[in-house]
Amino acid sequence: MMTVQTLNQRLIELRDVKKIYSTAAGDFVALKGVNLQIGAGEFLGVVGKSGAGKSTLLNMITGVDRLTRGEVIVNNGEAVSIHAMAEDEISRWRGRNLGVIFQSFKLLPMLTLVENITLSMDLCGNFSPKRSRQRALELLRLVEIEEHADKLPALISGGQQQRVAIARALANDPPILVADEPTGSLDSVTADHIFDLFQRLVMEQGKTIVMVTHDQSLAARFSRTLSIIDGEVGEFPPQTDVKSEDEAVAPPKWRFPWRRRK
Amino acid sequence: MKPRWRKIFHDLIDNKARTLLVVFSIAVGVFSIGVIAGSYQYISNDMSASYAMNRPANVELRTTNFDDSVLSSIRNRRNVADAEARRVFNMRVRTPGSDRWTTLDMVAFESFEDNSINLLVPVAGKAIPAKREVLLEKSALRDLAVDVGGLLEFELPDGSTKIMPVVGFVQDTAAGAGDFLASPSGYITLDTLPYLAQPKLYNRMFVTVAGDGDDPSYIREVGAAVKDSMEKSDVIALRSRIAETHRHPLADIVNAVLGILLALGILIVFLSSSLISNTLSALLNQHLRHIGVIKLIGGQRRQVFLMYFALIMAFGVLALLIAVPFGGIGAYQLSLFIADKLDFTLLGYRLLPLPFFIQIAVGLLVPLISGLAPVVAGSRVTVLRALSGDVADDGKPVSSAGEKRLSWFDWIQVKATRVLAARGLHVPRPFVISLRNTFRRKSRLALTLFTLTMGGAIFIAVFNVRVTLHDYIGRIENYFRADVTLDFDQAYRIQEIERVLKKVDGVTQVEGWQFMGGELMDANGNVVENIALLAPPSNSELVQPILVDGRWLRSDDIRKMTVSEGLRKSFPNLQAGDFVNMRVNGRNEIWQIVGIFKFVDQEGMIGYAPFEYISKINRQANRAFSYRVVTERHDRPYQDAKAEELDKYMRDRGFKVRIAQAGSASLDTAVESLDILVTFLLIMAILTAIVGAMGLTGTMGMNVLERTREIGITRAIGADDRAVMRTVIAEGVVIGLISFGLAVILSIPFTYLLSMIVSVAIFQTPISVVFTYLGYAIWLALVLTLSTVASIVPARNAARMTIREVLAYE
Ligand SMILES: Nc1ncnc2c1ncn2[C@@H]1O[C@H](COP(=O)(O)OP(=O)(O)OP(=O)(O)O)[C@@H](O)[C@H]1O
Ligand SMILES: [Mg+2]
Repeated sequence: MMTVQTLNQRLIELRDVKKIYSTAAGDFVALKGVNLQIGAGEFLGVVGKSGAGKSTLLNMITGVDRLTRGEVIVNNGEAVSIHAMAEDEISRWRGRNLGVIFQSFKLLPMLTLVENITLSMDLCGNFSPKRSRQRALELLRLVEIEEHADKLPALISGGQQQRVAIARALANDPPILVADEPTGSLDSVTADHIFDLFQRLVMEQGKTIVMVTHDQSLAARFSRTLSIIDGEVGEFPPQTDVKSEDEAVAPPKWRFPWRRRK
Repeated sequence: MKPRWRKIFHDLIDNKARTLLVVFSIAVGVFSIGVIAGSYQYISNDMSASYAMNRPANVELRTTNFDDSVLSSIRNRRNVADAEARRVFNMRVRTPGSDRWTTLDMVAFESFEDNSINLLVPVAGKAIPAKREVLLEKSALRDLAVDVGGLLEFELPDGSTKIMPVVGFVQDTAAGAGDFLASPSGYITLDTLPYLAQPKLYNRMFVTVAGDGDDPSYIREVGAAVKDSMEKSDVIALRSRIAETHRHPLADIVNAVLGILLALGILIVFLSSSLISNTLSALLNQHLRHIGVIKLIGGQRRQVFLMYFALIMAFGVLALLIAVPFGGIGAYQLSLFIADKLDFTLLGYRLLPLPFFIQIAVGLLVPLISGLAPVVAGSRVTVLRALSGDVADDGKPVSSAGEKRLSWFDWIQVKATRVLAARGLHVPRPFVISLRNTFRRKSRLALTLFTLTMGGAIFIAVFNVRVTLHDYIGRIENYFRADVTLDFDQAYRIQEIERVLKKVDGVTQVEGWQFMGGELMDANGNVVENIALLAPPSNSELVQPILVDGRWLRSDDIRKMTVSEGLRKSFPNLQAGDFVNMRVNGRNEIWQIVGIFKFVDQEGMIGYAPFEYISKINRQANRAFSYRVVTERHDRPYQDAKAEELDKYMRDRGFKVRIAQAGSASLDTAVESLDILVTFLLIMAILTAIVGAMGLTGTMGMNVLERTREIGITRAIGADDRAVMRTVIAEGVVIGLISFGLAVILSIPFTYLLSMIVSVAIFQTPISVVFTYLGYAIWLALVLTLSTVASIVPARNAARMTIREVLAYE
C-alpha cells in the first residue's frame, strides 16, 4: 500500500511491526505487521476506534513497549533500530531524540513546573544547570504559562498541565514528538489551543509530530492522517479506491525543507 | 540543587506520614539492636571488670583459729600476691523489741583501712566501723528493718544480748560466694570481738595469687601450698574455695542472660530487616509511576538507581539519628537493671564502639540490602508498566499475569462465597474485598506476614521460656518440702525433739537431718569443688529430687552420694556409678556417685547422702542439729507463723535454736537468681512486643497508604466512609490473624531454642519446656488491637481525601 520515500525524507520507518500480547486467555494480535514511513517535518494524525491499536503503535515508535516482530528505524542523522537497543539505551536515546506526551500529563507532583522541565535536561546532561533553567523558562513562554513557572502542577489547570508536559517533551530539543491523545481529557477550546501549539511546533520549529486522536474532525488539520482498524494501518478516511502511490505519500505543502536535518 | 535531587528531597519531606513510617520502622529495628548489643557489651564487660575491681580472693580457706604470725608467713609466700585474715562466726540478731530473729555472718576485719581483698564498697553511712559498731551488707536489709544509726540486738551463746549501732551499709560482692544458704553479713573490728565473747583470732584466710588469677589449676596449686603451710602451724583447713579473678559467682546466670540477648539480637536483626524491606518495597511501589516518568524523559537505570539509593540512605541516616541515642540509653538502663539485680556495678554510661557500628551497619546496610531488590526492580521496570502503575503481584504486569482468569485463591473464595450464599449465609461484601486485597499482592503479604510472625513467635517463645523457668522453680520446691526448718547450735536426740515438737498444735511430722562438708579432688589431689552433703533419712519424703541419672539414696549406702548436676562443670563426664576422691573431715576417701539430680547451683554444690551413714561418721547417731518439720497447712504465711512459734517454743524449753524458718525460705535464695532471669525475660518479651507492634503498625500503615488512591476511588464510586473503613480494618485483622496462626507454629522451635540456651547456661542438660496460653493470648490481643488501630489511622486519612486529591496522589 505504502511506497518507499526517498531516504533522507524517511525519519521514522516501521518494517513489518507485529505486536502480540500474550495473556492467559490466549494471544492477542494488536498490530498485524505494520509497514509505515514517516517523513521529517510531517504532522501525522492517527485515528481509529478504541482498542484498534493506536497506543500500541505509538509505544512501538517510542520504545516504551517491546515489539514482537519487525523493526523500527529512526534516522536522525544516523539510523538506529530502536528495538535492537537495550532498555537503558532507549531511555537515553529517547531523552534526546523523542518527546512523549500522554493523555494524562505525568508531571511529577512534588516538583515545580520549571523543575519538571529541567529534570529532563538534568537526566540527559545536554545543558548546564544555569542554561537549563533559562531554557525551561523559554519553553514555558513558548507554551504561554511562564507566569506559573514556580508553581506546583496541582495548582494549575489540566490544559496548563498539558502545556507543561509539552514543554517538557521539548526540553532536550528532540526532532520528534509523539503524543497519545494529548487533548483527550481537555475541553474543546483548550484542546484547540493545544492543537494550535502542535501546529506551530511543526511549522515554526520543523518538529515531526505523531499524534493519536479520537477526534476525527481534527483530521483535516494534520499533514497526513492514518487510520488503524484492528491492528492494520490504512489511510484516512478509509479508502475504497486505491490512490496512486505518489499521492499517498506526497509531502504536505507547508513543509519547511530548510529545517530538514542531515 | 539539581532537579533530580530536588525530587528526592521532596519525596523525603512532602509526605511526612510516609517518611515517618519508613524512618520509624528502621529506627525501631536499630533501637532494639542497640539495646541488645549495648547491654550485651555492658554486661559481659562490666560484670567481670567491676567484680575484679573488688579484688576477689582466689583462695578462701575456712580454718581453725590462727593469729597474725600465721598470716604474715602466708603473706610472705612466693605465689601469694596478698593475704588477708578475718574471723567469721554466726550470730542471731534482731531489731530491739521485735520477735523475729535472723542470723548474721559476723565478719571481723583485721583492718578496714588496709582492706585489699574482697573489698567492701560503701553504700551508705560510714565505711569503717569503730569499736562496738557494725556495718551491714546491704542484702541484710531484706531480713532486718534497720537504718543507718539504728540499733541491733545481738544474742550471745549464753543467751545474753548486746546492743550495737549500725553505722553504715556496704556492698560485698564476695559475700555468700561458694556458700549455698549463706546468711547476710555484718562487719566489725577485731576490737569488738571480746564484746561479743569471741577470741581475737582469725578463722578465715583470703589469698590472691601472684600470676594468672584466671587459671583455676594454678590457683588450686597455690591454694594447696597455702593449706600445707598453715597445717604446719597446726592450723587445719576445714574447707577451701577457689575463684577466678574475673569470674563473677553469678556468671552462669549472666551467661544465660547473654545467650538470650544474643539469640534475640539475631532474631531481631531478621525481624527488623523484614520490617525495613517491607516498608521500602511498599514505598518503591508507590514510586513506580515516578520511575516511569523519569525513564520516559530520558532517565537511565543508573540514574534512577542512584536517586533511590540516596533516598534510602537518607531514611537510614534519619533513623540512626533517632535510634542510636535512644538505643544507647535503653542499653544502659537495661544493664543497670540487671547489674542491680545481680549485684555488680557498671563502669558508667559511655559510647560503646561495637554496638554503635552494628547499629550503623544495620541502619544503613539493611535498608540498602532490602531496598536493593525493589530499587533494582524499579529501575528495571519497563516504562510502560511503570506508567500504568499496575505492577501487581511480584512485579508481573497485570495483563500478562492474566487478570482474565481468577487466581486459585479468588476461585476458592468465589466458590466458597457461593456455597455459603446457597445456604443463606452472605459473606459481607466489604469482607470479600478485604480478602481479595489481602491476597492480591502475594510478595507483600508474605513480607508482612513474615515480620508479624517473627515478632509474635519471639514474644510467645520468650513468654513460654519465662513460664518454663517459673515451672522449674516450682519443681525446685520439691527439695524443700518441709514446712519449717529448725537448726540448733548443738545436736539433740532426735526422739526427744520429736516428742517435744509433736506436742505443738499442727505439727504432724519431724525429721532429723545431718550435714557434712566435703572437698572433691582431682586426680592430683587438688581440691576442685566444695560440696555440702545434706543427710536426710534415706526414706525421707521431704526431698523429691529431679533425677537425671542413677538412683536416689538407700539406707545401706556407704560412702555413696547423689550430687547435683552442676558438678559436671568441674567433672565433665560425670555419671552415676563413677567414683570420686573426696576429702572428708581431714581424710581422703573414695566415694561413689550413685545419682545425679537437677538443682540450681549458683553458689556451691550440694549433694545428698543417707542420714544412716553420715550420722555414723559424724559420730552423732540418733542425734541431729537440723530438723525438718511438717505441719498441717503448707501455705507460706502459716509456715512463717509456725516457724516463729516453734522458735519461741523450743527456746522457752531451753533448746539452743540457731534459726527457725519456713522450709521454702531456703528456696527463696536458691531461686532468686532464676527469678532475675524470669524478670529479665519479661522485659525482653515486652521489648519484642514493642518492636513487633511497631512493625505491625508500620506495615499496615504502609499497606493502606499505598492504596490511598484506590480507597479514594472506591469512595468516589459510592462507598461511604464506614464501608471504606470496614474494608481496610477487616484486611488488617485478617493479616493479623494469619500471622498469629503462623506465629503459634514458629513459636514452638523458638521456645525450644531459647530454653535450650537458658538451661545449658545454668544447668547441664535441658529442662523440660512448658507452654503457656498466656503468651499466645497476649499476643493475639495485641495483634488484633494493633492491626485495627494501625489500619484505622491511614484509612481515616484516605477516607477524608477529596477525589481530586486522591487522583493527584502519586
Ligand atoms: N498489555 C496488554 N495486554 C493484553 N492486551 C492488550 C494490552 N494492551 C493493549 N491490549 C489490547 O490490544 C488492543 C489495542 O490496544 P491499544 O491500547 O493500542 O488500543 P487503542 O487504539 O489505543 O485504544 P484507545 O483508543 O482506547 O486508547 C486492545 O484490544 C487491547 O485490549
Ligand atoms: Mg490508547
